[in-house]
Amino acid sequence: MKKYLIKRLGMMLITLFLITLLTFLLMHAVPGGPFNGEKQVSKAVMDALNEKYKLNDPLWKQFIDYVGGLLRFDLGPSFKYQGKTVNDFIENGFPYSAKLGGITLIFVLLASIPMGIVSALKNGKWQDMLLMTLATIGVTIPSFVIATALIYVFSFKLQWTPVYGVDTWKGYILPVIAMGGYSVSFLARLMRSSLLDVMGQDYIRTARAKGISETRVIVKHALRNALIPVVTVLGPTVANLLTGSFVIEKIFAIPGMGGYFVNSVTQRDYTTIMGMTVFYAAFLIAMVFIVDLFYCLIDPRIRYE
Amino acid sequence: MIQTENKWERITLEGEADRLYTKPRTFAQDVWFRFRHKPTALLGLIINVLLLLFAIIGPYLTPYGYDDQNTKLANIPPVMQVFPAPDGEYLYITKALKIIEVDKNGNLVGQLKKGKDNSKEKITVFPYKDDMTVTLDYTKMPATVRDAEGNRIEQGKTIWNHTYLLGTDHLGRDILSRLMYGTRISLLVAFIAAAVNMVIGIFYGGISGYLGGRTDAVMMRIVDIISTIPLTLYVILIKVTLDDGFLSIVIALSSVYWVDMARVVRGQVLSLKNQEFVMAARTIGSSTLAILTNHLIPNAMGPILVTVTMLIPSAIFMEAFMSFIGIGIAPPLASLGTMCNDATEALRTNPYQLFLPALVICLIMFAFNFVGDGLRDALDPKLKK
Repeated sequence: MKKYLIKRLGMMLITLFLITLLTFLLMHAVPGGPFNGEKQVSKAVMDALNEKYKLNDPLWKQFIDYVGGLLRFDLGPSFKYQGKTVNDFIENGFPYSAKLGGITLIFVLLASIPMGIVSALKNGKWQDMLLMTLATIGVTIPSFVIATALIYVFSFKLQWTPVYGVDTWKGYILPVIAMGGYSVSFLARLMRSSLLDVMGQDYIRTARAKGISETRVIVKHALRNALIPVVTVLGPTVANLLTGSFVIEKIFAIPGMGGYFVNSVTQRDYTTIMGMTVFYAAFLIAMVFIVDLFYCLIDPRIRYE
Repeated sequence: MIQTENKWERITLEGEADRLYTKPRTFAQDVWFRFRHKPTALLGLIINVLLLLFAIIGPYLTPYGYDDQNTKLANIPPVMQVFPAPDGEYLYITKALKIIEVDKNGNLVGQLKKGKDNSKEKITVFPYKDDMTVTLDYTKMPATVRDAEGNRIEQGKTIWNHTYLLGTDHLGRDILSRLMYGTRISLLVAFIAAAVNMVIGIFYGGISGYLGGRTDAVMMRIVDIISTIPLTLYVILIKVTLDDGFLSIVIALSSVYWVDMARVVRGQVLSLKNQEFVMAARTIGSSTLAILTNHLIPNAMGPILVTVTMLIPSAIFMEAFMSFIGIGIAPPLASLGTMCNDATEALRTNPYQLFLPALVICLIMFAFNFVGDGLRDALDPKLKK
């Protein structure tokens, strides 16, 4: 277990380093450099800017400086907004994004697992058909379409929820549904097929033969095993919610990180794009690692050697 | 069983009912048989064909190009609420309080020149057809016109827009034509991206699986690292590095989605490579490349096809996603995603501008997912749940 953890941590660091390198190289491969915008700047100003942001150093030195900064949790300045650092964006945006993401994740789990269980237990009946039709719709419709349709119906027509912002709890309802829609559907389908699979296993028959009540068979024996595939995809689900937040935060005007990221992308604010990508990557790798640790709790067979 | 006197008499088959066998089917016929007996798969295929026709042939049938603007006829919905004009024709009042002349069949004639504005009484008088006038009354919203006696006409008549069947957008471009070009671009991007990803994935996965050993370990480690990070981030990064345009979005999409394909192909090759036919090929001295392309990959074609059909909707989704956050196809070219993005600001006043492209995106996604599901079940009935 200890050995496995050390190995995993090492892999995480290597992955993170490679991602940083890749992002760095990509951002430096941009033709014309970061100041080559619509506005024509005189050569003297350009030189001064390059000097200020150390763009005249050789590439490897810039990279070492950058990694040195990362180790001190300093993601560098923003190229487009004077006096702002990438850290500022993350500090401002992260609380909003984390709250929205956290609520959505809880919503996804609370909605998808019961949906999957019900449709597996009612396999082939109308409940199953209804839930799986919903799930198919949820998987196929892009989140921005769901979001705008929800806004149109619930904010404009019915006026139940605010259109923008998350000042009240009502403001969270639509973003959470739009952001979690895909994941709920995906996990519900997964939960259904995995529970159906487990219910056909021999040990379920054994449990029934012992005379245990059906509820106990499902809760004690079937569910615990059926949850394993669901836990496996929790890492990718978090990643999905995270990228989903780009659009959702834009549509609902939530001042989170996703909004800053999209802004930096459309404005071509290269250091911010670079810094935020590295931050996202680090965050995701950490999440996937935590999810991996959860396995051990759920499935005692998996004790990493 | 037919009983006869003579037990040795030869029995001839009467009718088709007693036949115990059918014509032998090839594998492809088998797949097609299973595919067309699944209603959702067939529906998906039909929608797909229709969408392709819409995207390929459609643009030749409409009189408008994707960038033909007529700002005087901007934001006109497909179904208009019109008011009677003095001579029996119709008038449509836009949200910006302009009056559009509409003839009896619903064709848009043009915008009326603005006349005297009386902001105190909240009316504007428009000259109409040389000698007549129309009075616009905006004391209460929605604005209407006044009839001959000077009273507000409260309820208008709804008619179809015959000039622009699906209305116009905020620059007065025909939405139907833009939908056709948009679908064409979205599908083209998706097809190219899927094809490139397929080729890269097949070779990467094939080589990794066939060579095995340390090569396999290193190659799969790279795949693991790539798949740790959401592909959306990579696509955005690559797109930012390149300039705007059609090609860069294709490159961005083509360079990341091969990971899944590589895994699928590797798994297939691993299970196939120790079978006798591969050994036989090796014995007669076939090269590695020949074994891969002639023996292994054709046998893995089923799962590859399924993965490709599933790749197309995700490429379309990704393209729409990127266009939606503003880094997609550069204007005036339109993809479905950019059309959605353009329409979000005016969602409250002109919802049709958003819902039409959104509907097409959903149709494409549904169709390809259904076809993919159907194909998977048809190619490998064992997988069917």
